Amino acid sequence: MSFTNQPQMSSTDTGISYVTKKLHPLVDLQYDRSWFDELQNRIAKGGPWDDWTLYQLAMEAEQARRIESFEQLQCLRSLPDFEPMPHQIGTARKVLHEMGGRAILADEVGLGKTIEAGLVLKEYMVRGLVKRALILVPASLVLQWVRELNQKFGISAVAQKKEYTWGYDVVVASIDTAKRDPHRELVLNTDYDLIIIDEAHKLKNKKTTNYQFANLLRKKYCLLLTATPIQNDLDELFNLITLLKPGQLGGQSDFAANFVVDKRLPKNEDQLQEALSGVMIRNRRGDGGIHFTKRLVRNVPLALSEDEKALYDAVTGFVKERYDESGGDLSSMLSLVTLQREVCSSRDAVFLTLVNLFKKTSEDSPMRPRIWELVEKIKSIKANTKAEKTLELVKEMNEKVIIFTEYRATQEYLLQFFRTHNMTAVPYRGGMNRGKKDWMMDLFRGNAQVLIATEAGGEGINLQFCHHMINFDLPWNPMRVEQRIGRVHRLGQTEDVKIYNLCTLGTIEEHIVSLLHEKINLFELVIGELDHILERFEKGDGSIEQRLARLLLEAGNDNDLKQQISELGSSLNQIRGEVQSTAGDTLTSSNPHSHELLIHTDKLGQTVEVRP
Amino acid sequence: MNEKQVHKFVNRYLDATECSILEKSPAHFTVKLSPNADRELTNRPYYWSFVDRMGTEPETMTYLLVTDKQKYEAMANENEAASKARAAESEMDQATNAALNRSLGFVHGSLAAGVRVPREDLYFGSRKLEQLFDAAKTKGSFVYLFQEMDKKSPHPYSSSPYTAWLGVNMRVEFACDRKREEIHCFGVSLATGLCVEQFHDRLLNMKLSPRLPSNVHITRNGLSYNKALNIVEAALERKLKSYDYGWAGDASARLEEELARIKGYYEPLVSNAPGESKAAIEEQFAQRQAEIRWQFEPRVTASAINCGIFHLEGID
Repeated sequence: MSFTNQPQMSSTDTGISYVTKKLHPLVDLQYDRSWFDELQNRIAKGGPWDDWTLYQLAMEAEQARRIESFEQLQCLRSLPDFEPMPHQIGTARKVLHEMGGRAILADEVGLGKTIEAGLVLKEYMVRGLVKRALILVPASLVLQWVRELNQKFGISAVAQKKEYTWGYDVVVASIDTAKRDPHRELVLNTDYDLIIIDEAHKLKNKKTTNYQFANLLRKKYCLLLTATPIQNDLDELFNLITLLKPGQLGGQSDFAANFVVDKRLPKNEDQLQEALSGVMIRNRRGDGGIHFTKRLVRNVPLALSEDEKALYDAVTGFVKERYDESGGDLSSMLSLVTLQREVCSSRDAVFLTLVNLFKKTSEDSPMRPRIWELVEKIKSIKANTKAEKTLELVKEMNEKVIIFTEYRATQEYLLQFFRTHNMTAVPYRGGMNRGKKDWMMDLFRGNAQVLIATEAGGEGINLQFCHHMINFDLPWNPMRVEQRIGRVHRLGQTEDVKIYNLCTLGTIEEHIVSLLHEKINLFELVIGELDHILERFEKGDGSIEQRLARLLLEAGNDNDLKQQISELGSSLNQIRGEVQSTAGDTLTSSNPHSHELLIHTDKLGQTVEVRP
Repeated sequence: MNEKQVHKFVNRYLDATECSILEKSPAHFTVKLSPNADRELTNRPYYWSFVDRMGTEPETMTYLLVTDKQKYEAMANENEAASKARAAESEMDQATNAALNRSLGFVHGSLAAGVRVPREDLYFGSRKLEQLFDAAKTKGSFVYLFQEMDKKSPHPYSSSPYTAWLGVNMRVEFACDRKREEIHCFGVSLATGLCVEQFHDRLLNMKLSPRLPSNVHITRNGLSYNKALNIVEAALERKLKSYDYGWAGDASARLEEELARIKGYYEPLVSNAPGESKAAIEEQFAQRQAEIRWQFEPRVTASAINCGIFHLEGID
């Protein structure tokens, strides 16, 4: 393998004539004489000759672009649309000037690691030191990165979609894709000027294929981004640093001897911090500022109308029957559980699913008449208790509000419902293309009082101007609930955020709300905490959604179910306790924010007061 | 480059490439590109290869180029009154679009609108301006020019002597893991071998044209182009040798330090490795060392921004 030690701007073309001379004992001067060859060539042919004005303009452009000094940040003057915060600029400087472009950016959540990485990338690009960059992020963040780099930094980043996309200069891809064939060879055979890996803590285990893949990449500069660099095990820290600067903490055995008492307990902390300060920057939130406004959560219990209740019971019966028929085969049953959840949302949602189910069954199936009965029941329902309550709430607050539902059909129904009550509501869903999403956001920012969304994980919906949120129905995955809340409850929100959970009594929904709200107190968790809790929980068996579905199907009666869910809640709670108490082991009173880390990191960055 | 400089730059580019400016203010241009400018700026290689192959009349694009966003938007707001009159119309548009959306899915832009005039904000660092810079460079790299005479010579039969110069604008890059740049402009008289610095500035004070003026004779070149090149390079080298290379010393020291660190990590690893994985670890070791050299090794490179042959009055 060979690295070209030539400037990136012109060295990529082969066949250029270079002449090297000694300038200083340490430095060679290299002439690129391609211009001279071409000039002689044109003289011989008598042209073609270029325009004198353009000649002057080319020179002016180069003069404007010239990098005057090693130090000054050039990228700042080319970012007119946004102003990075001082700690972000400080971090970029440190990475560029003191760390030689290899660093772990470990700011606490919400301080803008992406911005810092963007600044470093942009600066290197402006200076012509980086041409080819690879950005590896979780699949769900690919588009967000592409958009940020394009919009904020004016960097033409491309999301990796097809094999040929690897040919672009700045590519954003998920590591799971990159490590697989046919991509693997292409990526490993490229010399990248800069590699950025987001959520780098996922690489901490060196036995994983992801880690081994990352270790094979060829790079000049490298940034690893993580909010939780040292969380469970000191070896993980060692592994991360080895990706970046092998030997920074000595060899594996030196490290163990010098810095580790137990895998969770460091020694010689001052020295360790010293060694870390050469590779890691961690800015923390200050204690002075109010970081976030409060979350005020209100559960709105609703009794179903008689018709609705009848439908719910009928569907529950139907699902149970199918489950018993299948002899406890869980995988095919998950979609049936959806039916039950849909009844709690709207008759439209359940209707659609039933129709699809009907289509799938064979003509003489005994299921068909049973489905038909359910459809009959749906027909008899004339009103939606939840929708009416929602309308009442919306009128009461008389401010912007975002309504979340899990189901397209419910969304359509609500749009219709609001329209008939002379209120403008705009939809938002994952399937919309970017342009339409932006348009919907503009409408909501403008005249529309209500936004009805089916998607919360989507990037780019930042709704700080709105502080009311109605959960028309709740996802079973707490992370998705957190994502919903995160849309409005974020930096820049100046008001307390009011969250309403609609909850139909005597249904599965009641259990879920009580689990999320009362048992794990989801709505009041510290931002970022839920990640850890769920990560541990799901190490057990299956995702929380699957477990809930199983409980629901297997429970004999309502009391049984209640008890099971309560147990689930307790185990979540226990994990939460563990997460917090492991933090307690190393908790230093001087710095409450380092509590999730095993090593004090207060010397590795600055404290930033973030005000809403 | 501030807004004014950008504006002036754009204006000169559009003039030089013979684009037709439909509308302009101190903050913007609305411009229909000339075929040459369109080829450089619109990223439509397929379209142009189609035009070239079919020999059809090209339809060039029209752009709104905003050189001062704030000023432009202030102006746009003043025109709000006018746009309010169109509000009713645009509501119609929206209704149309909504209807179309329902049947076709989302349709980009408004179908009811006229010709699309994309807007580009040109500020220092913006992609479109970068593209303009690059376009200027590709079409402004090699020139062959003659100085125009200030005044007609008194005698119709007398002839003024001209000297040919090799002029070159050099970019010098000083790089390790960081980088800075300098620009040096040299001119060498092909008659005498005289070498001057800041040659470009001297040219800027002259009137130059691609055509040989009348009543002029050109002194015979006393040296070859290669000799001239050597003179330029020698002059540059002399200059660069006088510089302080403390930065390179620092970079080399860092490089050594980093190499030692890597060695400290990999050498025990290599010697303890079982036979079958030894090769892989050694390869990785070599790779890491190469990466570090790539990152830190100090180097200076000189390349030309652009160059040309200039025929100037007098014998130097």
